[in-house]
Amino acid sequence: MKKYALYPGCVIPTEQYAYEISIREIFPLLDIKLIDLKNFSCCGEPMKSVNQMLTISLSARNIAIAEAENLDIFAPCPMCHLAMSECKRILDSDEKTKERVNSFLADENLKYEGKSQIVSIIDVLYDIVGLQKISDLVKKPLNNVKVAVHYGCHLIRPSEIGRSDNSENPQKIEEILKVLGAKPAYYPEKLDCCGGLLTSNLPETALTKTGQKLQAVQQQGFDAFVDVCPWCHRQYDSKQTKAGETVATKLEVPVFYLTQLIGLAFGINKEKLGLEFNLSPVDKLKIG
Amino acid sequence: MSIVDLTSMSESQITIKNEINQRLSKLRNEVSDYCYQCAKCTSGCEAHKLLELEPHKIIALLKRGLIDEMINSEVIWTCMSCFKCRERCPQKVAPVEVLFALKNMAVACGKQIPGNYTAMLQSILSIGIIQDVKSVTTNDNKTKNRSELGLPEISKPVNTTKFQMVLAKLAVEKV
Ligand code: SF4
Ligand code: SF4
Repeated sequence: MKKYALYPGCVIPTEQYAYEISIREIFPLLDIKLIDLKNFSCCGEPMKSVNQMLTISLSARNIAIAEAENLDIFAPCPMCHLAMSECKRILDSDEKTKERVNSFLADENLKYEGKSQIVSIIDVLYDIVGLQKISDLVKKPLNNVKVAVHYGCHLIRPSEIGRSDNSENPQKIEEILKVLGAKPAYYPEKLDCCGGLLTSNLPETALTKTGQKLQAVQQQGFDAFVDVCPWCHRQYDSKQTKAGETVATKLEVPVFYLTQLIGLAFGINKEKLGLEFNLSPVDKLKIG
Repeated sequence: MSIVDLTSMSESQITIKNEINQRLSKLRNEVSDYCYQCAKCTSGCEAHKLLELEPHKIIALLKRGLIDEMINSEVIWTCMSCFKCRERCPQKVAPVEVLFALKNMAVACGKQIPGNYTAMLQSILSIGIIQDVKSVTTNDNKTKNRSELGLPEISKPVNTTKFQMVLAKLAVEKV
């Protein structure tokens, strides 16, 4: 059984419970053990516009906490995963910056060494667990539901840093969905951004980005929309009604975390997957 | 420590400003020359249609050294950090990274930080994360908290005083 420190970040544990609950529910079945550690802080990525050194230092601090326990890190939020991967890339190749960051961390008796790996949700599901094992656990196949996949920007770009799938034609989530019995299909807006990062200063524009993409998905007759990022999910699911207003459309697109669809296909009941927290019309879809 | 230390132009911030300046000159001298203004970055820019951000022009202005003009403009805050410009540039120029450096510079120069960034930073300083736990409502309008759901307590800095010392060093020392 593989083990990882679960690095939940800020958004998942303070408001996106559905992601956390469904991860904690399905991971043991996939033979992945998650360890909860104390003392984590923000990954720093949301502060990159304010002070990039703060981003690097906060990420290094979190990695150091897991390193002290000899654990690799699982970061389900793609933004956290990007921040930590970039931090690792910078510090592992630049002794001077590493020393400087470690001089900050010394006050808390922490030290970044660079021995822990950082893995994303797709690294775990696709590359570490693998399609075969997921397929073996499917009890209630997803009846050919037509699914639009949203990867989110941070999971696949910038590839120079090492991301979880191909930046222009990612297919790993589609492959997982096929194994679950769903029918993922291409749509031209697939790589469009949710706009979520503009929420802090231009919230209306952020919602317009969200609304435009969901409107396109709805027009193309998809049964469901799937994502893996708490920032994206907040836009597409939690704020779907408001997003609809920005494009003058009544949006009714069921939005799921990938981990929720996996759980449903495994025959887990919906309470245990946090489906009560999805504010989009997920009940429309008769699955599970 | 207050938020002012981390964001505004105090005596100790001069070193921070110098460092960001170095970052910008490096981008200017080593990177912007490779840009041949093909505007591929702008053609795929997520902020272009709605907000008129033109990353290729940002590089052109950087090349001409017009840093002050850019840090005084609100347009630098319209980037959505989608990283498409960095991914797709045939010359490996990364407008998004230039924009991050410009925003950092605007902050270090004491320009007003737009929107919620200040609140998020303040929250990091006091509890280590960008927001405290929110009251979360289910689709049948019940409010649930973590312990009712069997979720463990949120992981936050255990010793806030020491955590703040780390952040304070960042603001005061040469970073
Ligand atoms: S930054 Fe790259 S993509 Fe943009 S105009 Fe310059 S060369 Fe073209
Ligand atoms: S990262 Fe910013 S500048 Fe670059 S394409 Fe995306 S929105 Fe435009």
